[in-house]
Amino acid sequence: MTRSFTEIRKRFLSGLALAALAFSLPLMGQEGQGDVTVTKGVARLIPIALSGFTGETQEVLQFDLYVAGFSLVSPGQGEWDLVSQAGGELEAVLNNVTAKTEAFHRSYPGGSVRSRAHTLADEVVEAVTGRKGIAKYKIAFKLDLGRSSEVAVCDYDGGGMVQLTHDGNTVAAPNWGAGRRSLFYTSYKSGYPDIYSHDLGSGARQPFANFPGLNTSASVSPDGSKVAMILSKSGSPDLWVANADGSGLRQLTTTREDESSPCWSPDGSTICFASRESGIPLLYTIPASGGSMRRLSTGGVGNVSEPDWSPDGKLIAFTHMKKGDNFEICVMPASGGNVDVLAAGEDASWAPNSRTLIFVRKDHYVPHLSLLDVPTKRVKDVVRMTGNCSQPSWSR
Amino acid sequence: MLRVIKVWTIALAAVLALASGCKKPAKNITPIPGYNSQTNTSVTAVPGDGLGTAGTTRRTGFTPPPPGIGGQFPDGNTPGSVTKTPLDRGQVPMGEGSRTAGLQDAETLKADTVYFDYDKSAIRASERAKVASVADYLKAHPEKTLIVEGHCDERGTDEYNRALGERRALSVREALISQGVSSDRITTTSWGKDRPAEIGHDEAAWSKNRRGAFVLVSPSGSLQ
Repeated sequence: MTRSFTEIRKRFLSGLALAALAFSLPLMGQEGQGDVTVTKGVARLIPIALSGFTGETQEVLQFDLYVAGFSLVSPGQGEWDLVSQAGGELEAVLNNVTAKTEAFHRSYPGGSVRSRAHTLADEVVEAVTGRKGIAKYKIAFKLDLGRSSEVAVCDYDGGGMVQLTHDGNTVAAPNWGAGRRSLFYTSYKSGYPDIYSHDLGSGARQPFANFPGLNTSASVSPDGSKVAMILSKSGSPDLWVANADGSGLRQLTTTREDESSPCWSPDGSTICFASRESGIPLLYTIPASGGSMRRLSTGGVGNVSEPDWSPDGKLIAFTHMKKGDNFEICVMPASGGNVDVLAAGEDASWAPNSRTLIFVRKDHYVPHLSLLDVPTKRVKDVVRMTGNCSQPSWSR
Repeated sequence: MLRVIKVWTIALAAVLALASGCKKPAKNITPIPGYNSQTNTSVTAVPGDGLGTAGTTRRTGFTPPPPGIGGQFPDGNTPGSVTKTPLDRGQVPMGEGSRTAGLQDAETLKADTVYFDYDKSAIRASERAKVASVADYLKAHPEKTLIVEGHCDERGTDEYNRALGERRALSVREALISQGVSSDRITTTSWGKDRPAEIGHDEAAWSKNRRGAFVLVSPSGSLQ
């Protein structure tokens, strides 16, 4: 049906090789090296028609399918028709126009209008592409209210926002624990940056790391058993790792310069992070059990930060900090190398489908959250909220 | 590898240069209390510093990095080895009493705010007199402790800037220590780009936001 991202990339590989060669020539890591122009092909949109849906249901379906890489067309014009069935509750038929077959006929009782529409959208995505949908996942982010910033959680489309902290100070870097049951984040509640763990079921929270100096950038391993973080108690902002219950703290890096923004490979064996060890920020990996720091090539793009490893292990998204207040979201293979520049923005976090990113976009210096479908490079802002939104983390 | 060595050489030279008038050889630039420095009795340590555990108890105090973690680093440094500890690079671990409680004063040393170059944490020559002035002040007021706040301009991502701001604060701390201020009187914090001194999107504002600011702490109950 639709070509996968990998197939698309294969198709453009020959053209890419020359571009990549030319691109790798500039000296590594120079500041202000200007625009990065290497781009890969764009995936095909899947044409689908919606019939008979109204109001909030229609809005949610249009949003979810757009973000999932569909194009909305008139009935009969697409490869798929999604038809609302009359009735009090949400009921729909999905027809494969090309094959002239019915893919499914389902009803969605219970739950809110938005929740039911998200469920239907996820099932359309799965029926058409074979991929699991992402419309029911949550986003944690930093909500800047001006006088203070707080941790907040919302649906992936920006709906249903709930403010989680009321510390009246500054927060940073929320990150989901395994199973979406807890959040780790930095709060300056004590006057200093400390890492807290927050149980979303009971609402209870406690300091996780509050050593002298900096405690920040908590990143929970995919199995939930470990937490990577940046601590400066050694006299430099270094990468440390501990068990999720706080035991077994170990220092992984000992550079003089600062490390930041750790993230995990899906098997939990490797941590990717940014370091200024060479004098400018570049990406590195290190075994989570300790070992050597290894440079990860970002294909000639210097000044990079905030890496995030896709849940399928294949890709790493990161931010290219161009000189001037000007950032770009980039994606490359997890082994490094060919960089795909996707959009203006910063601080991307992967969805569980390893295809969609949530990131921060700025309008006249006001940061807000936006979604990016990597294969089609389509960008869609989430519902705008009161307050500046940044540092999104996608629940997995 | 050569490049890495060169970087450290420059860093070491910078630290040496900061110790203005200091003729001591390189090995003496870190006359520093070790990992197990005592809590300064004139200040109150914030209880429970350290890593929280799942239960109700929390580890207190400072845990030194366990030796032997990790392997060879690209520059040949082995973490925890005897011959090349982080101290050789001018880094000064925090002591137990590094977080102090008391009355905070961000005004007295405001004129000594240290400004940094874009994306750099080294203290530039123009700022060294300010560090010396702060060192003199602390020597004259032994009852006070100091928080060095690191800040960044907006041209970096959030967590990158939080780490860079801390690195800047630590550079100022190291410079003060090299001028004879006891390490357990100085703690650091980083606000990244969260608390700009100037709102603006040009170099005029950015240059004021890349800074290390000084907050004096007097023991609770004292109005000195």
